[in-house]
Amino acid sequence: MELAKRSLSRRSLAFALAAAIVGTLLGTASAQTITMAMAAQPDTLDPQVTSATAAFQVSKSIYDTLVEVDRNGDIVPALAQSYEVAEDSLSYTFHLTEATFHDGTALDAQDVVATLQRMLDPETASPKLSEFAAITGVEATDDRTVVVSLSQPAPALIASLASGWGAILPSEKIESGHDFGNQPVGTGPFAFVEWQRDNSVTLNAFADYYQGAPQVDQVVIRFVPDSAVQLQGLTTGEFDVIDTVASADQATIESNADLALVRDPSGLALVAAINTRREALADPRVRQAFNHAVDSQTVLDVAYGGGTPIGTFMEAGSPWMPDSIEPFAYDPERAQELLNEAGASGLSLDMALPQPYENHIQAGQMIQDYLSDVGVSAEIRIVEWGVWLSDVYGGAHDYDLTVIGHTGKLDPTGRLDGYATEADNYPGFDDPEMAAWLESGSQETDPDARRQVYTNVLQRMHDGAPFIYIGTPDRVHARKASLEGFWITPMLDSFDFRTAHFE
Amino acid sequence: MTRYLVGQIFSFLVTLWVVLTLVFLGMRALPGDAATILGGMDANAEQIAVIRERLGLAGSLAVQYSDFMGGIVQGDLGDSLRERRPVTAVLLDRLPVTLALAGMAFVLSLVIGIGLGLLAGLAPGSIIDRFTTLFATAALALPEFWFGFLLILLFAVNLGWFPVLGLPPSGLSWQASWHLLLPAFTLALPRSAQVARLTRAQVLEQRMSDYVRTARSKGLHPRGVTRHIAANALPGVLPLLALELGGLLTGTIVVEQVFGLPGLGATILGGISARDYPVVQGVTVLAVAVYIGVNWIADLLQAVADPRLRTV
Repeated sequence: MELAKRSLSRRSLAFALAAAIVGTLLGTASAQTITMAMAAQPDTLDPQVTSATAAFQVSKSIYDTLVEVDRNGDIVPALAQSYEVAEDSLSYTFHLTEATFHDGTALDAQDVVATLQRMLDPETASPKLSEFAAITGVEATDDRTVVVSLSQPAPALIASLASGWGAILPSEKIESGHDFGNQPVGTGPFAFVEWQRDNSVTLNAFADYYQGAPQVDQVVIRFVPDSAVQLQGLTTGEFDVIDTVASADQATIESNADLALVRDPSGLALVAAINTRREALADPRVRQAFNHAVDSQTVLDVAYGGGTPIGTFMEAGSPWMPDSIEPFAYDPERAQELLNEAGASGLSLDMALPQPYENHIQAGQMIQDYLSDVGVSAEIRIVEWGVWLSDVYGGAHDYDLTVIGHTGKLDPTGRLDGYATEADNYPGFDDPEMAAWLESGSQETDPDARRQVYTNVLQRMHDGAPFIYIGTPDRVHARKASLEGFWITPMLDSFDFRTAHFE
Repeated sequence: MTRYLVGQIFSFLVTLWVVLTLVFLGMRALPGDAATILGGMDANAEQIAVIRERLGLAGSLAVQYSDFMGGIVQGDLGDSLRERRPVTAVLLDRLPVTLALAGMAFVLSLVIGIGLGLLAGLAPGSIIDRFTTLFATAALALPEFWFGFLLILLFAVNLGWFPVLGLPPSGLSWQASWHLLLPAFTLALPRSAQVARLTRAQVLEQRMSDYVRTARSKGLHPRGVTRHIAANALPGVLPLLALELGGLLTGTIVVEQVFGLPGLGATILGGISARDYPVVQGVTVLAVAVYIGVNWIADLLQAVADPRLRTV
């Protein structure tokens, strides 16, 4: 009897344990939490004081913008259900939809007014301020209507309003000086719960989201810089989606039926900038020669895990990329001819490469090899990111060659402004005619005329070659095969969990 | 006693001042500042100047230095330029993770180090002694980051016993101690090796001494002899333990990176790359204070353990 009892209790204990384990497993499945690992991490969640892609990747789920980018890269209505541009292009009228902030207050025109005024306030010190510089006034004509007046036509403004830095904040919280950087409040599909720096951001589904509540209950974003650790976590099930996949791991993921590898074009324009201020690099033929000397497809495949070559300063797949501009052909003989024509021989260059961007460093090493094939020697110097920003990209422009990726912009002004004036761009490219085109392009409101202007600009950037154009890398991320509906915004590269769910 | 204390406090303040001045100057000698990094590739020179002004970095070096020192005197470490909140809040967020990791590692290194050291010292030439010597040599030779990766590969990826990341997303809690075990062991390993070696040496030295021979010859039970040996050997290990505890703080920087732990190590590295001067300075103040404090405590403990040192 005693024995039977003991074995019974042992059996029931085992049962309870098994039930607990199964319960936990089912529990995690039915609680519907998506855990994502991302390599970079936001500096702040206040959308008006940062320029970091990582900040907007996270803040996309918390805030909404007046208009937004859809999966095709088109700008579509969001918090503004419609808008009109005045005849003279000097004012925009936005009609707001019904939406609620996470603190329970309803969206009204005053929120938009306060948000834009905060952006324009020099106290805010937004790095994106210049994109809004044409705004002279923001006015709420009624509860649901906002009129934005401009000093000159600014066709690029809509793109800025669709970007992460166009996020709408609640006016009450703006007035009370709320710390949006650490405690963000928006109208987005997910409400902020917690941010543990260097560890995680936790977001809960917002039931009152104006486009309908998201399909999962929670999103947890983990900050995991190492791609090997990301992959390990995806394999063991700790992560449902990861944003960084090393080229070498792509095959492993593709061969695993439980995982899916997703490849789509990113918004980056990868380039090796050439410092045209240097006497040896002042001749465009030399710079064209460099472009012919480098096999950009191979650089993309090896250093960036695949991509599409470009022939000018615009990402592949951008609606602004002219069909007429082809990438430079890989042709070392042509490169040699151009160098001979220009009388350039025995060039010895300083190549500054930014740490910790391993793929730019690898691309730089490959470019060094390609250049040595045509008799140009380059010595690699690794510089830390802060040094790169202050001394290579800015300051004294202390470099001959450097490799970097320019992030996607919805409007060509964001990419090209300043690239015709020596003092305003790091390759030191200077072209008064192109400067005049850029000036007119930023104000031209006729779409066809505007496209022609930027086609001219981009052709000049191709011929003048202040860069070795590498291309637009594929953005490769991986997820569990059962996770559906997660997507990354074209050009802006931000994460969209609104339709994400497990099958 | 008062004079001793005043002297100690004075030397603490001088050390702190020298270290802080070095960190202040060193950080500013790095090219770029928080404004260039916040501005990134999008902001032009004008906007960067506005951000610099807003962050309070526009003043001369002398003004910034006197502001900084003035703040320190009043116990104010300033605001983080990146997180835009008080440095004290940043430190309070991160300190528990580092303390938990360093604490676990310290206990592990004590248990492993003193345990192995005692066993080895009491039976020189035995298998356990030879194992201890081998263990100590190997553990000291292994770089922490490499050993950490090996542990992750074996226990987290292949066996699946531990998670790959050092903390659950919810942060520090009792559940987190399971997550922290691998990083704590990584951190403890080289330290336990040193403790084991010194403990073994101290025990061996005591074993040769006259009182042990006397105790043995008058027929004291071997367990009693061991207790005497341990009591006399351990005070000699204490100064090393204090050094170890200070060293644990710097060791966490590497281990936190390997296991992705959001502690002070991640904070200071992130602070340096973002040129977040107040945060780097704040972590330095804390590290210096802890280092000096730990050494004081070790001095005191040694005095408690060894009556001959009670001169002050």
